[in-house]
Amino acid sequence: MAAAESPSAALRRRDLCSRGIRLAGKMRADVVDLLDAYVERQGLDASASVAAVEGVPPAAVERWDEQTGTQRLLENLAAYRAFRALLAQMLEEQREQLGEADTGLGRALAAVLLQVSAFAYHLEELLRLESRGIPGEEGDGPPPPPRLSLFEQKLRGLGVLRELAQWAVRSARDLRQLAKPSLATDAATSLAESP
Amino acid sequence: ESHIQYERVGADVTMKCGSMDWDAAVTWTANGTDIDESHLNGSYLILKNVDLSQSGQYSCYEGSSWHLKYQTYLRVGMPPKEPVLMCRSNNYPKGFYCSWHLPTPTYIPNSFNISVIHGTKDMVCEKDAVPKNRCHIRYLQLFSTVKYKVTLTVTNALGKNFTTLTFDEFAIVKPDPPESVVAKPVPNNPRRLEVSWQNPSSWPDPESFPLKFFLRYRPLILDQWQHVELSDGTSHTITDAYAGKEYIIQVAAKDNDIGTWSDWSVAVHATPWTEEPKHLTTEAQITETTSASTSSFMAPPTTKICDKGAMVGSGAVAVCWTAGLVVAAYSVLFI
Repeated sequence: MAAAESPSAALRRRDLCSRGIRLAGKMRADVVDLLDAYVERQGLDASASVAAVEGVPPAAVERWDEQTGTQRLLENLAAYRAFRALLAQMLEEQREQLGEADTGLGRALAAVLLQVSAFAYHLEELLRLESRGIPGEEGDGPPPPPRLSLFEQKLRGLGVLRELAQWAVRSARDLRQLAKPSLATDAATSLAESP
Repeated sequence: ESHIQYERVGADVTMKCGSMDWDAAVTWTANGTDIDESHLNGSYLILKNVDLSQSGQYSCYEGSSWHLKYQTYLRVGMPPKEPVLMCRSNNYPKGFYCSWHLPTPTYIPNSFNISVIHGTKDMVCEKDAVPKNRCHIRYLQLFSTVKYKVTLTVTNALGKNFTTLTFDEFAIVKPDPPESVVAKPVPNNPRRLEVSWQNPSSWPDPESFPLKFFLRYRPLILDQWQHVELSDGTSHTITDAYAGKEYIIQVAAKDNDIGTWSDWSVAVHATPWTEEPKHLTTEAQITETTSASTSSFMAPPTTKICDKGAMVGSGAVAVCWTAGLVVAAYSVLFI
């Protein structure tokens, strides 16, 4: 039996969702700009196909409309935590390549990293509201990949940013679903039924 | 036994009279009309450089008995040119459809085969009953970066051709235009028009996948459009309309985050509210209203009292004659 959500919790959730949607929208716009700059700066072909990159959480999902609110939040959180680590890695590689951090591309990467961290925190807030425990982060994220060539690093970066741009769109959609009143019941139900 | 024979425009066609020998005496007809012997080589019918008008039923009869020995239906046509293919999602996130046509007719029957691949996965595009050259696919995955590859092959008896489209999920999202666009004047507001519309009915979930809108409007007498982009809501009040002028208004829609703008909606026309024209008042009415606020006789700033053609005088002293009459009436009152 689903527990009814208190009016103040419902308001708080809607408020967090609205802000999260705006955050996701801004993040997506900045990631798209960063992608353009990255492709140009790294001398890549914008239409190049990049195979699935290890450690990059794919935004693609089946039966998206059937997901519960809690599933959405947990998947989003796991993804943005992974992106936080991946972008930090890209920033480090950028510094190694260029020898200094405050290039335009480096600054743009750092700005997106900040937004990704903020969004992950925002998702944690939403999970706390659902009275879900925040899953612990596994160690320091994905294990460091084997040393890649410069070109491989660049392609990997392209894959990371492309997938992040998809996630930003998906997250806005997920939060709109979560903001619907019926989803509050789903989230509470999944909480009640979870072991 | 009847046959169908397909030949290219411009080809030379030789028809044999079934199993009859070359030197047999035969008569050929085309759609029941005898064919002149000059087209015959023995019992073979020779048609050189055929054109579309030569399509029809060809029959061969044995000379003396007039027994029908062979019959064929000649269809003159062309192999297909590269087809034109378009794919679009107007019902995101449910799925998308692809439609196609040939740039030029072949004049003979064609069959179409469409294949859709998403990564390594083959997908089935279900053909629509109406229209015929269209099929639709349900999305199995959303938010995928993997592109879709659609290949359309067209085949007929004279050849085949194909085309391929590659796109990602977001790029083909294009809603249908907004529906039920209505524009109304606003009472007592000569520069306003209230416009409202509805989400296209084909868009399945506007709550989770909200649309934004683009409104354009202009007076009929001008060519230049005004534009307004609206991120939410399905109504807007135009506040800078020219008083008394008929406007044409259209709306387009786009998913808030992805894809492209819809086509423009059906155009609606509306004219802003205008005050009822004031008639010349009698002296009694002027006397009665003298003590009232003079602003009651002041026209709204955008309402014209008279047309340019009714002006008398020139330059700074030009007045229209109706205004002159009112002034004259006032003058009479105060003499």
